[in-house]
Amino acid sequence: MNWNMILYTVLNTTFVFLFAPLIVSLIKKVKAMCQGRRGTPLLQTYFQLFKLFKKEIVYSDNSSFIMRISPYLNIAFLLVASIFIPIVFIPAQESGFGNIILFLYLMVCARFFMALSGLDAGSTFGNMGSSREMTIASIIEPTTLMACAALAFILKTTDIPEMFGTVLSGSILQYPTLFLVASSLFIILIVETARVPVDNPETHLELTMVHEAMILEQSGPKLALMELSYGIKQLILMAFLINILFPWGMATDTTLSGILISVASFIIKALLLAVAMGVFESFFAKIRFFRLPDFFMIAFFLSFVTIVFELLS
Amino acid sequence: MNTLGIILKQTLEARNIKCLLRKNNSGEDYVCIELDSFDETMLLIKNQQLLRLTAMWAAEDFEDHCGFTLFYVFENYNVPELLALEVRLKDKRAPSIALDFPVACYFEREIKDGFGIEFEGAFDTRRLFLHEVYPDSFHPLLKSFKNQALDLNHEEPKGTEYIFKEVAGEGIYQIPVGPVHAGIIEPGHFRFGAIGETIFNMEIRHFYKHRGLEKLAENRNPADCVVIAESISGDESVANATAYAMTIEKINECIIPARAWQLRTVLLEMERIYSHLGDMAGMQVDVAYPVGASMLFILREEILRYNALMTGSRFSKGIITPGGLQRDIGTEKLKDFKVYLSDFKSRFEEALKTACDSSWVIDRFDTTGIVKQELVSPLNLSGPIARASGATIDTRRSHPYGIYNKVKLSLPSKIEGDVLARFMIKAAEIKNSADIINGIIDDLYEGPFLSQCSNDDGYSLTVVEAPRGQNLHWVYVKNGVIDRYKVRTASFCNWFAIEHAVIGNIVPDFPVINKSMNLSYAGNDL
Repeated sequence: MNWNMILYTVLNTTFVFLFAPLIVSLIKKVKAMCQGRRGTPLLQTYFQLFKLFKKEIVYSDNSSFIMRISPYLNIAFLLVASIFIPIVFIPAQESGFGNIILFLYLMVCARFFMALSGLDAGSTFGNMGSSREMTIASIIEPTTLMACAALAFILKTTDIPEMFGTVLSGSILQYPTLFLVASSLFIILIVETARVPVDNPETHLELTMVHEAMILEQSGPKLALMELSYGIKQLILMAFLINILFPWGMATDTTLSGILISVASFIIKALLLAVAMGVFESFFAKIRFFRLPDFFMIAFFLSFVTIVFELLS
Repeated sequence: MNTLGIILKQTLEARNIKCLLRKNNSGEDYVCIELDSFDETMLLIKNQQLLRLTAMWAAEDFEDHCGFTLFYVFENYNVPELLALEVRLKDKRAPSIALDFPVACYFEREIKDGFGIEFEGAFDTRRLFLHEVYPDSFHPLLKSFKNQALDLNHEEPKGTEYIFKEVAGEGIYQIPVGPVHAGIIEPGHFRFGAIGETIFNMEIRHFYKHRGLEKLAENRNPADCVVIAESISGDESVANATAYAMTIEKINECIIPARAWQLRTVLLEMERIYSHLGDMAGMQVDVAYPVGASMLFILREEILRYNALMTGSRFSKGIITPGGLQRDIGTEKLKDFKVYLSDFKSRFEEALKTACDSSWVIDRFDTTGIVKQELVSPLNLSGPIARASGATIDTRRSHPYGIYNKVKLSLPSKIEGDVLARFMIKAAEIKNSADIINGIIDDLYEGPFLSQCSNDDGYSLTVVEAPRGQNLHWVYVKNGVIDRYKVRTASFCNWFAIEHAVIGNIVPDFPVINKSMNLSYAGNDL
């Protein structure tokens, strides 16, 4: 590992860590404004996390070590996964780094531990949440794999930084099918971040929850870690989508101005996408649970069509 | 014209069954039958299939009878007056009618808890409003029980345990929900039996906040108890206060000024509007469509503010009193409200369109939580739930009170019985209520708003149509103070409906089904 890589890891992770809560707040703000409300301040998620970090932790008597370690594991897996998505600059190649399959399975590991911790306390709602999460996961994962396979077909690589580099050095017009995959990536983003129409992050109704139900038993700093990892997951998936479609502005070398430009341009793009997500969410109601596969099917179909196009051309 | 009481008396006499028909001051029929002929009479009523049991209660030392008297109120939605059957018990035992009239199950359990009367042959003898902390000998509605702070000695044996129906099998599990919920909701316990996500059994257990309102009213001056009626359920306070005031007015044969009835009707319909707006918004919140919901929440808030402007209370408390109103509402204020209403109607239409244009919302509502029409009579369902399930029944039309026989009442009806039907019924009722208010304000009488009411002894029965359905009040005044006050809100019976409506639905759809019925926890648990 060279200095360039170390610098990249530190900068990228710090950025993801600091910026993720802002996106969470921004989407909430946009949704509130769509409803004619003023909404909470943009820094609210930071305040919330700060408050939670100061609180005590209460564990259910029935819970085991899974409950205690899963918030750490969850955030660790997601932070490692975040290194696979270059935001500050595209680092020089390292072998074995940036593989899309590995990236997906890091995300799956995080989900696995989150579901386990939902089951751990033995409470009804945690169990229901985990059961639903796994149902959704088993349907969305083939779709995600299909979308990634489509990307690999189009860009002729399984390496994420290389994918970004390829699009960056060329023109989006060279890869028109990218828009198709991007649509399915957007759906995957909605599903993975537990948003309407799949799940409702703002609900107070324990019977309808999916993601929220799994973390109901967590408290204090552990809950803060869970919330933070949710934000990180959301940000890296957004970054993946943004940098596949519009990587312009991203630096490929390690200059200060380059990094600043790439961070600034990413922030603008991420804010725009967050606004789009908030507006999109406002136009939908939550879909019936057993109709979710229909929604996922759109993403699957788009990815499938992309692969067919690529094979034909 | 023959009233229900006369018809029943004639029928019974034709069969050589002894009975006594009594009319009280307000012209209500009370048919008094002997315990020996009880079964035969009930069978007769059941076989006629024209009457539905709408309420049931007990009173201790009623009139000249020393002991317990049971009252059974029947109604037919095509006949204005109600029929009260009176049975005087010799001891603390009575035959159960729960197998013939399913809704009686709840009432009998309520009476058993309150008075310790045993119903023989009842299929469900579990407790209702008393939880396990109360010993078996505890019956708060007995006259011998003083209304005071309880010292629940922990040494004393606890009451019998409440047993839920057991479900077992491969892949079957129970989901206990509540009484503490994740949001700001009243306490209630729901026990689901589910296979995966599909519900195949659900039992409710409520009564976590019993306030003893009926007991609280005893030995008080009738004029002082309006506040108790208003506290039954916050968002039905006008309906309950009106029903209570009407009961007292009937006992005293008090005539209410025309203006007072007009203003009461305006307030009653405003209550219906804001209550339905809250439901319709809540239903959209429960399917995660807050954009549509917030439009309705804004309108609801505006109506509440008009309530505050007119009555000084957002929920219009403290204005209704026996004899009319405490204060007048200025004609200017009402004219302003009328101007607002025209704006309200167009904005409501827009909000309704927003909801109906979202195929995602409609998809969630459609075919969800169906209440079958054949349940309406046996379970005594009323209000929008009944009207959405094919029963065109409304207390305002069938037992008109106040000026309801003069207003233009349109009764929307749907046969689907699902969440969507209830949503549309509530929307139609909001529009109708707005029209009723408009009509009244156009044609407002000037003049007094309060007439003097004496304080006589007697008893009377009143039914009104609250936003949730029919509420029934019965007051018995003895020696100038209330001796027994019985309230049966629509929710008490309507809660039954949800146990049937959720079957075959999935667990995540339960909240929207629950919201579409808007059942009151407080109104259920007095």
